[in-house]
Amino acid sequence: MFTFSLSGLEIKSNDNGPTEVEENETTSRSAVYMVFGKFFSPVNNEQYDAAINDHLDKEIKDAATLLPYSFDIGRPTVDSSLTLEKYMDEYSRLFSDSGGSKLLASSQTDDKENLVNQIKRDYEYFGLGANADARPLDHLATLCDFLQYLCFKEAATSSARLKSSFERAQRDFLEHYLTGWIPSLVDEVDKLTPTEPFSWALNSLKYFILADYEYIVQILGG
Amino acid sequence: MSQTVHSSDSIGDFLGNSLGDSLGDYRRRWSWDRVNWGTHCLNCLATCNYRVYSKDGSVVFEEQSGNIEAIEAQVPDMNPLGCQKGSAWSQQLVSQDRVLHPLKRINERGESQWQKITWDQALSEIANSILDTLQEYGPESIVFEESVEGGLLSQSAFLRFASIIGAITLDAQGLVNDLPIGHHITFGKFSCASTVDDTFKSELLLLWHSNPAYTSIPYHHYITEARYRGAQVVTVAPDYSASAVNSDMYIPIRPGTDAAFALSICQVMIQNKLFDEQFVAEQTDLPLLVRLDNKRFLRQRDIKKGGSEEKFYSWYEDTKLTEVKNSSLELEGKKPILEGEFEVVLADGNSAKVTTVFSLLKEFLKEYEPQKASVVCNVAPSVIEELARLISSKRCKILEGFNAAKYYHGDLMERAMCLCLGLSGNWGKPGTGIQGLALAGLDGYMLFSMKRKSGVEETARLLDGIEAAMEQMKVKDPDATDEMLGNQMLSLSVASGTSAPPFFFNYHHVGYKEVWNKSEWSDASMTKSFSSYFDDAMRRGWWGGVAKPAASNPPKMLFLVGTNPIRRARGGRDRMVKSLWPSLEKVVTIDFRMSSTALMSDIVLPAAMQYERVNIQYPITHTLRLSFSDEATKPQGEAKTEWEIFSLLSKKVTELAKERNFMEYLDGKRQVKSLDKVYESFTLEGAFESEEAIIDEWVRDSADAGTLPIGSSIETLRDKGSIRFTGLGMFAPGLSVAADVKRDKVMTAFSWHVEKKLPFPTLTHRAQFYIDHPWFIEANEMLPIHKENPKLGGDYPFVLTSGHSRWTVHAVSMGNKSVLSTHRGQPIVVLNSDDATSLKVKDGQLVKVFNDYGSFKSKVKVASRVRPKQAIIYNGFEPHMFSDWKGSNEVEPGMVKWLHMVGKYGHLRYLPFGWQPVPADRAISVGIEAIDESI
Repeated sequence: MFTFSLSGLEIKSNDNGPTEVEENETTSRSAVYMVFGKFFSPVNNEQYDAAINDHLDKEIKDAATLLPYSFDIGRPTVDSSLTLEKYMDEYSRLFSDSGGSKLLASSQTDDKENLVNQIKRDYEYFGLGANADARPLDHLATLCDFLQYLCFKEAATSSARLKSSFERAQRDFLEHYLTGWIPSLVDEVDKLTPTEPFSWALNSLKYFILADYEYIVQILGG
Repeated sequence: MSQTVHSSDSIGDFLGNSLGDSLGDYRRRWSWDRVNWGTHCLNCLATCNYRVYSKDGSVVFEEQSGNIEAIEAQVPDMNPLGCQKGSAWSQQLVSQDRVLHPLKRINERGESQWQKITWDQALSEIANSILDTLQEYGPESIVFEESVEGGLLSQSAFLRFASIIGAITLDAQGLVNDLPIGHHITFGKFSCASTVDDTFKSELLLLWHSNPAYTSIPYHHYITEARYRGAQVVTVAPDYSASAVNSDMYIPIRPGTDAAFALSICQVMIQNKLFDEQFVAEQTDLPLLVRLDNKRFLRQRDIKKGGSEEKFYSWYEDTKLTEVKNSSLELEGKKPILEGEFEVVLADGNSAKVTTVFSLLKEFLKEYEPQKASVVCNVAPSVIEELARLISSKRCKILEGFNAAKYYHGDLMERAMCLCLGLSGNWGKPGTGIQGLALAGLDGYMLFSMKRKSGVEETARLLDGIEAAMEQMKVKDPDATDEMLGNQMLSLSVASGTSAPPFFFNYHHVGYKEVWNKSEWSDASMTKSFSSYFDDAMRRGWWGGVAKPAASNPPKMLFLVGTNPIRRARGGRDRMVKSLWPSLEKVVTIDFRMSSTALMSDIVLPAAMQYERVNIQYPITHTLRLSFSDEATKPQGEAKTEWEIFSLLSKKVTELAKERNFMEYLDGKRQVKSLDKVYESFTLEGAFESEEAIIDEWVRDSADAGTLPIGSSIETLRDKGSIRFTGLGMFAPGLSVAADVKRDKVMTAFSWHVEKKLPFPTLTHRAQFYIDHPWFIEANEMLPIHKENPKLGGDYPFVLTSGHSRWTVHAVSMGNKSVLSTHRGQPIVVLNSDDATSLKVKDGQLVKVFNDYGSFKSKVKVASRVRPKQAIIYNGFEPHMFSDWKGSNEVEPGMVKWLHMVGKYGHLRYLPFGWQPVPADRAISVGIEAIDESI
């Protein structure tokens, strides 16, 4: 059985349907978003341990077992002597700049407030609110959380109408916020010659998002 | 005034003494640092897209956007939507009639002495009045006038609040009298409302009861473009209107005789076999059989014991007496006989003679041979014959406004006009029909009041639930179309809602009862008093559940959110102030300007205007677009949006209720209402605190329901300014257009009836020209007939007509200096030059217009374009623009036609915004005399 797990968002209503469903193609997509969400969260021990113990790609592969398409997961080669401190320094070096975090979708626009409000409305319309202690609403990890949730809800619903709504929401959300931004983020970070596992994770995320978008567009009839 | 919008009145102010610097100022005045989308609430419902330019937080100017995509190849696009009123909207942000602070009356009502109070004081006073009224009289003593004036966010705010506390909301259609009741009698709806670009496809355009050069400025180009393409344009009007000037033919008809004129056209068509027999047989009730003994349709229950009251018969060559299918208009290769007299055996074994509606019509129309009709309508027989031939040979569209609807016998005029189209096969095909009004399918808005939580899952639950309910209804009534099921759903919602036709409010509480009982101002066919018919209708339960507030339940509190009854109500200020006002303990007006009604209120709250808030206008199928208006500047003074106002009031009501320990009461349906969480109910536990979130929810839900492009949100609107609908939705108002919405096609109303053969939502499931209700039989109005306009107001030589002017729709632009400066800027009665001479009145002179009901004074404009013995005063002048603050509605008795109290007959039953009795205000009998007085 598959259960979703949100860290940057929380469910607003008590009456929100099932919390676990049989694993299938859609929960697999949800699971991949969950793994990427965890990876791009601000650094924590769990993430560091996974990197240093060389099983980041395994987590993705496990999650992706039932994916209805393939994407280039790749394999990170993490230096086993990488300390948590250095890991955190690299995270900061790659993703922070004078304007704040590069992992915020609003870093791409001058109208930051408007973009965050748009994203917030997306969350609200689909029954989610910000976790009070969480990272910014437009953080890449939160966006991944949201996609994880949409995929889960698609898998969990018995309503054809809702299934279609969740599919369209995934497509629109990917299109509005991720398919344009992530490739340019990868290009930008690549210029800084990132070390592993960051280089791997970013490229892997890019391939996944583009493949997932293509898939959902196809599901919705192009 | 802190804002600097249009701080100068003219270029001259900028030129001054120092030409160089001033020119620089002038050029800088047209610069901006921000551009937003805007649209307006001008009551025209055009919802034009404007670009709003602002600088340093103040609006500088606006212009038409011209960004609407072309829809169909070879059909001109709609650009640029707009008119002078919209283009001067920003001036009203700082006009002198703007309400900037909460105001409380001091001294007597109407003495115009006001005290500025804080929002908290104002809301406390209103909340206390609400609680007093709830405690002492009950919620149905609190009345809201319904309006679309302030856009959907305004409307949704007060409707939601009224619903929470159980107050009555008076149906807007019944207040403004725009109901094209003849369309409803004929089609079961008034929604033959194609997109305006369909006009381009017409071969013959009849501007009949309309003056689009004044009133449809954004759409008028289609008339010109159709004419370039070869269409003929004919204006039928008593006066040589601005639209007549550009027509190929002008028909100066005697006011109020349009039915005689139209029926004569029909007579020529039938007499000369110019009618479309196939169309008539398929689409109309003309082949149905009528019993000659009782003048009623032959029904299944006449033929079979226990048979249906709503199954009808035609006569066929081979099968003889044949039951007509209700499920489809398809003739399946067979044609019913249109003319003849037959004998049928009834269920009781007796026989009865029957004939067709067509035969009855043909015989009846002999009274309208052109020679005879000409005497009535003053149109030459040759013109009638020519027009009959034109209509029957061309794709003809009637561009009708809301004028006919306002005549006492406007229903008969419209039924006869529809008959012209029915006989000639002119609806449901490109370039045809009679242009009515239809709401586009903003399903998200329709769902809003039903939602128990925000978000997509609730939307899906509701949509699935509605579909399931409709499926169940379909099992019970397999012949019903989605449109009919939508009407049934709407009917159910009426039973649980707070909406009521204002007719009963007017009858019991505004003093109309006495006026409506004046038989000399009423239909001569009435055999008893108006009140006797009223009592009969009530006894029969025709208006059960909506006949409120009852006589025993006088209104004590009146909320007017953007509405202006003192200017609008037939009967005028006198009627309202003398009959209704004394019983009201609190009158609250929420408006952005000091209207005549605000001047008579106890509390006036300042509302934010378009450009100072986000909003969307009521979308209609004319453009089939949803238009957005953004916040380009902060509200002036202390103005707030209606959503903010009612949010705050919700909190205050609960707060003060707790202080009083008054937390529960019974509503009009004897259900317990709680005051514990008014704000929480209003905002759905905070989900709808933000107006951005509300609009976003409406748009997303509509997209989910399939009526807006998938993926649309408020950001789509913010990006594009407007979005074209992709469907008409699952609710009655949209479905009634009965047409497919296609991305690359003009939309032609009623095409489902013609192409898919879907039946009409009438008793007979056809366009119904024969009404066999006993009252209609008593009135001899089974078929459309000409009846002389009653002498409304007494026997006087002049006929006073109206219509909307070029400068404003209602009174909304009457405080706009730029607009006012494009005309005489004050009320004028337009008189024929010969009449002016005989009255010894000069242009610009003051006259008194009077009848047995009332009087007003106005200056005169002399113009030969007005028909002799006609006087025109355009709608929209505020009473306080006249001397003694008495407007032109002082001479309008507001008579109601008794037949419109009929209910529970097929399609003649109340639905919100639909069938209901409404007062007439056209063709008022008046005398005019010069007075030696200045205003």
